[in-house]
Amino acid sequence: MYTQFFGNYLLEKGILTTSQLTDALTEQSKVHIKLGTLAIHAGYMTAGEVDSVVVLQTHQDKKFGELAIEEGYLTEEQVQDLLDSQTPDYLLLGQVLIEQGILTNTQLENLLIEYQSENEIYDLDLSNFQKKKFDEMVSQICEFSDSVQEERLVEYLQLFVNNLIRFIGNDFTLLNPIPCNEYPSVYGVAQTVYGSFELQSLLDTNETTAIEFASRYANESFSDFDEYVKAALEDFLNLHNGLFNVNMSNEYSLELMLTPPEAHINEVIGYDAPHYILPIIYPFGTLNFVFAIS
Amino acid sequence: MDLENAKILIGDDSILARKQLKDCIAALGGSNFIEAANGQEAIDKYKSEQPDIVFLDIVMPIKDGIVATQEIHDLNPKACIIMVSSVGTIQQLKAAIEAGAKDFVQKPFSGDQVAAVLDAHLGGN
Repeated sequence: MYTQFFGNYLLEKGILTTSQLTDALTEQSKVHIKLGTLAIHAGYMTAGEVDSVVVLQTHQDKKFGELAIEEGYLTEEQVQDLLDSQTPDYLLLGQVLIEQGILTNTQLENLLIEYQSENEIYDLDLSNFQKKKFDEMVSQICEFSDSVQEERLVEYLQLFVNNLIRFIGNDFTLLNPIPCNEYPSVYGVAQTVYGSFELQSLLDTNETTAIEFASRYANESFSDFDEYVKAALEDFLNLHNGLFNVNMSNEYSLELMLTPPEAHINEVIGYDAPHYILPIIYPFGTLNFVFAIS
Repeated sequence: MDLENAKILIGDDSILARKQLKDCIAALGGSNFIEAANGQEAIDKYKSEQPDIVFLDIVMPIKDGIVATQEIHDLNPKACIIMVSSVGTIQQLKAAIEAGAKDFVQKPFSGDQVAAVLDAHLGGN
């Protein structure tokens, strides 16, 4: 479930370009995880051992698991254990990158070790991991005098990612947020959360990406950039902000309200207070989520 | 009243949200729909069309769903108004009920939730 951040990590390290990542994400939805990749991840086999089994497979018509057992790299129990295990999505991304010749098994092995130790992933608890990543992200980009405000923003972004996963799909990667004082919109929908505190939000993208986004959101296949597609962008943002308000009300008894969503088409929006752009890369295109808390 | 004979007013500023609710109710047997894209339009359509049941979003331009509920309730205290919104906070729920709403459906809604609401408010009458 960490694809969103593993992709970001690979971009940050300069291992991938954005277009390589997009290609891999597209491919990722079509492939299944391989036993060899799982074995490296579980620490049962080294990358070298996996490579040698893959070579053996080119001469013998046998499954990876059978050969690995014959060679003494895995026990039958370990194979069963791997087959039963839940696959973290980021592994699939790693595997696609190997198949596309961008990474070798050894490079993936090293990157996984680095990534896991840098991020202290000891278990697969998504919510803790996400919270930690957003804590880091938010404290890197924003200087808050008020730690409560910082906490609210972390919760807001966490919910945003969960809503993307829930309503659109988890095959996306987030880039690091970029501060801005103005934003040139293509087709953007904006909404303000107001009351106990104020949050500005804007979801912006181009027409083609909007059509795909809307099709996934509404579970229909739209082909034109029409009123339904525009409404889907507004509905997603409205739903996200509405659910945030519900959480704030339930957890902290904070009462918040929403302005009706507003479209901003091909205009440069100027901001008095600094805003942040969070790019979201899906296989079908990139969306920008622009936000600020005050 | 039977759902198939009921006149249903759907007030939501999102054309997609109106379509989704309409599709959902149509699947349950409803067919007589009237639509409104903001609170004021919902009040006007209520007056002119006298629907049997009204579904209203809360966050809408011109007049929001709570204000529209209040005004429709003033016109007819027996009006059957159901709020459908993503903003189901305690304060909003309270405001909706005080304004005269009979029920609340949290977005995103499921077909079962809508069916239960229709059953509770149309069924047996």
